[in-house]
Amino acid sequence: MTPARTRALALAVLGALALLPWVLARYQLSILVDLLIFGLFAMSLDLILGYTGMVSFGHAAYFGLGAYGSALVLIHFEQPVPVALLAGALLAGLVAAPVGWFSTRATGIYFAMLTLAFAQLLYTVAYKWRELTGGSDGIAGVPKTTLFWGGPSLAEPRLFYFLVAACVVLSLVACRALVRSPFGRALQAIRENERRFVSLGRDPRPFKVVVFVIAAVFAGLAGALFAPFRGFASPEVMFWVLSGQGLMMVITGGIGTLVGPVLGAMVFILVQEILSSYTEHWMLFTGVIFVLIVIFLPGGVVGTTRRWLEAPR
Amino acid sequence: MAFVVEQLLNALALAGLLFLVSAGLSLVFGVLRVVNFAHGVFYMLGAYLGFTAVKVSGQFWLSLIVVPPIVGAVGALLEAWTLRFIYRRPPIYQLLLTFGLALILEESIRVLYGPTAMGVDPPGILQGPVELLGAIYPRYRLFLIVLSVTVGVAVWLFLQRTRAGLVIRAVAQNSEMADCLGANVARVRTLVFGAACALAGLGGVAAAPMTTAYLGMGISVIVDAFVVVVIGGLGSIVGSMAGSLIVGAAQTWGAFYLPETAMVIVYAVMGAILIFRPWGLFGEEE
Repeated sequence: MTPARTRALALAVLGALALLPWVLARYQLSILVDLLIFGLFAMSLDLILGYTGMVSFGHAAYFGLGAYGSALVLIHFEQPVPVALLAGALLAGLVAAPVGWFSTRATGIYFAMLTLAFAQLLYTVAYKWRELTGGSDGIAGVPKTTLFWGGPSLAEPRLFYFLVAACVVLSLVACRALVRSPFGRALQAIRENERRFVSLGRDPRPFKVVVFVIAAVFAGLAGALFAPFRGFASPEVMFWVLSGQGLMMVITGGIGTLVGPVLGAMVFILVQEILSSYTEHWMLFTGVIFVLIVIFLPGGVVGTTRRWLEAPR
Repeated sequence: MAFVVEQLLNALALAGLLFLVSAGLSLVFGVLRVVNFAHGVFYMLGAYLGFTAVKVSGQFWLSLIVVPPIVGAVGALLEAWTLRFIYRRPPIYQLLLTFGLALILEESIRVLYGPTAMGVDPPGILQGPVELLGAIYPRYRLFLIVLSVTVGVAVWLFLQRTRAGLVIRAVAQNSEMADCLGANVARVRTLVFGAACALAGLGGVAAAPMTTAYLGMGISVIVDAFVVVVIGGLGSIVGSMAGSLIVGAAQTWGAFYLPETAMVIVYAVMGAILIFRPWGLFGEEE
């Protein structure tokens, strides 16, 4: 697509995001918030999966850390939501640093297994540390406090929606700038040919650790939005299923496109929403859809559309 | 003394189960270059089918023989219908495909059996405790140790001493070259995948009397098996044995001295080993 068309499309999407809350019913708006939150989660995963070529199978852990961090701040200190967002994102980043440092010692599939193992460890901690996390019940009754000290209450659904939309759009802009910066170019060089990167005299590990932490911070932000939105944080949000679903959202939408994973997440959550209204065994059908997408749609929605648009006629 | 013997045997029994699962995981990776995320679910499938077989026939020993081939056949069919088409893609696609398969199998079991755990009685001869070196110890766990050691030795001998084992090792080492030399690589892959699933299924049947058959046993065992192969090195049977012993020991002693944090001990051990050997004790650098 030409830059002009991209800009037009971006403006159209922004316009739609601004108008939708006035059109949609309350329930539909809450689904849209869900879509955006998981879109942000999938996008953060694309930074490591799509741009650096590292398969993390434990990304849900950072979403969950964000959710717990924000839930604890909101419940115990009753600060404005943005403070909780900051706390959640920071917590995710802080934990991701040592995990990233360890996991990037290995590459490829070993890296995937290590990230899964650490994520399950964090899940176990969340499950067992009853005094802090409430164990399997999680933390319920997380309040939607205010936008700033003495500011308007975020219990108003539209205001909360705009906060989420702003977070997602700003994160997308930031990630786009990141992957186009020299740092981002270096990441893509690592993805394309790590050995060559080494032979050009650079050490890939610091890059990998840093991008792992950055991705965790954005995933943490998504989780930190999730906790006040749903009103709870429970071990479920750190479970391996969500990590796998995250990977699936990225693949469904289009790997290495940033926007694609957001779309992928939307498709994914909508399909789940629809399936779960018909049957409690939606996981079965999700599994079948996974398998079909992996086999028949390797470029994802965005990749396939792009190829279709650019194909000679 | 009795206590040490007891803990040692507990560690060995746990290591035995872990080995039955991680050996297949490692073998599949060696030959297919796929990390089979669904491997744990085949273990679970074995446990549930074992429950059904024992209920229908009343024969534990028969179930132990009949169920693994069924699980293996399910695995081989799934490989031939799905995985086979995407070997040329980057590894992420294979991992995700097996993730999809895991969801399908796990949810199918939930539909068929419901959410309650299913207990399986061990056969009469293996019920009750036995005295060993001053320790009173459940017979069934001793059986688990014997079973896994036997299977481990058999798998190793098969791979090292038979013609079929030679072909499998050839495909693992260089599949293109093996193909040129006349090995039917596609068939070897399907059979190895099926055999690995059968091993996991055997582990599941054997585990059921000790742990019951329950939903979620698949993921908990696959995470442990991942730790085992990270420690031992992917693609190495000896590595799986060593890794299983280390994880089994760490979990058993960890569970006794620091009950809440047994897993943390395992991860600490894994971290320590990775610092010195990023590709595991017996693994080779990719």
